[in-house]
Amino acid sequence: MLLEMQGVSVSYGKVSAITDVSIKVPEKGVVTIIGANGAGKSTTLRAISGLARARTGEIRFDGERIDRLPPDRIVARGVVHVPEGRRIFPEMTVEENLHTGAFLRRGAPDVATDLEKVYARFPRLLERRHQLAKTMSGGEQQMLAIGRALMAKPRLLLMDEPSMGLAPVIVEEIGRIVEEISAEGVPVVLVEQNAELALELADYAYVLETGRVSLEGPAPELHGNEHVRAAYLGV
Amino acid sequence: MTELLAQTGLNALYAASYISLVAVGLVLIFGVMGVVNFAHGELFMAGAYAIVALYADIGVPFLAAVAAGLVFVGGLGLLMERALFRPLRDNPLGGLVASIGFLMILQALAVMGFGVRMEHIPPPTQDVIVLSEKVRLPVSRLVVIVSAVLLLSALWYFLKRTRFGWALRASAQDPEAAALQGISINQTARIAMFIGAALAGVAGALTAPLVSVNPHMGHSVIVTAFIVIIVGGVGSLEGAVVASVLYAFVHTIVTTFYDGVVADIVGLSLLLGVLVVRPTGLFGTADRA
Repeated sequence: MLLEMQGVSVSYGKVSAITDVSIKVPEKGVVTIIGANGAGKSTTLRAISGLARARTGEIRFDGERIDRLPPDRIVARGVVHVPEGRRIFPEMTVEENLHTGAFLRRGAPDVATDLEKVYARFPRLLERRHQLAKTMSGGEQQMLAIGRALMAKPRLLLMDEPSMGLAPVIVEEIGRIVEEISAEGVPVVLVEQNAELALELADYAYVLETGRVSLEGPAPELHGNEHVRAAYLGV
Repeated sequence: MTELLAQTGLNALYAASYISLVAVGLVLIFGVMGVVNFAHGELFMAGAYAIVALYADIGVPFLAAVAAGLVFVGGLGLLMERALFRPLRDNPLGGLVASIGFLMILQALAVMGFGVRMEHIPPPTQDVIVLSEKVRLPVSRLVVIVSAVLLLSALWYFLKRTRFGWALRASAQDPEAAALQGISINQTARIAMFIGAALAGVAGALTAPLVSVNPHMGHSVIVTAFIVIIVGGVGSLEGAVVASVLYAFVHTIVTTFYDGVVADIVGLSLLLGVLVVRPTGLFGTADRA
């Protein structure tokens, strides 16, 4: 297993956000975490990337504990998080945003190659490379957020609600990109409210309910599960 | 009349130069650390005393003393980051209060070391560039103007073209997202504090021979800097520079044609006027950046 989260609880002040969550991510494929608003999906990702402190339990990446490391040390190991709401740097140009993603790869010659790859993948970003990021549409900003994460050369990509607030055409494109990234050998942990999309993309799925894992299994299996169909797929 | 205006313009340019050095440093610290550094005027004062100690008292060459002052005050900035702002990172109000405490410590140290007297420092050069009979620019003022332009250009280049510059701006715009790019908050905080403090220190050092140096000289400087950064839009470096120039011209012109007290009133009215018309300042946005 590339990533193992074992019995992790996180609380904000006295309010507990997730309790005893255990999740495993293999070396390849897409793992999804679905659940309602406030179920603790984002907190789970934040615990992995070090933005939230695990109160109990442990998180191992590549066999080594990362749950006491600050976020920048976790990125250095290759765990890269595309946060909810994209969080691009609004007052920086598209290209500056992408360079920021490669912050830890100082002067590596392949940074330029990776920049070209990102532009090849997202031609819109190339067109707008000198534009301030805040002037772009939501879909373009999501592309930029993903591009920025790819500039870090991730070994594991965490994506928080990449489809949020986007038009159906763009959502489809995001889905295609997730599949591509995973096919290129970078495993993805996908957090989504759009359960239909998530279960379609994922190999394995977890369902979070009020901060606990209530259900897990291969994605097609959960897609057929009656509870999941009623609660998350609206069937 | 033209000559008087030209002379006033030169005086204003000189004032704009050191004000913008102070204001830009203050904005940089606020942007990256989210804390209002009330001790910023005292960092300016510390830079001036570096000149008293090194140049006036032991005779180190002026520009070498300025460089030493830059490093010394930058070091004070690092000390503040480590000792005050880092432990209080989640508490911006606490950072502000701590900076007020640090201000008092610096003032007290200056009084203990040098006494409360005014220090008059002989300028490194008495040369004056005579542009016409009534338009003159002392070389010591020209040094301040040229240094400010060079330092601010260097800062601009650093922020727009270098990896750490991008990291600093990213941290200012969204600290959490910056951390997710592998940018260490401690590191960007250190860089911002060093640069911000050093700019205030170098402004104090460069102007030391042109003003009367005393332990409480930071007060008027910080008031001016606050006006300037609010007019420019809190968080905007460009705004701080533009507002410094604007403020310096208004203040100098009013001082020349009326007097200094009226100029202070006009300066504050400018602040109020801008806040009424554009509450975010000239270059400010609703976000912090």
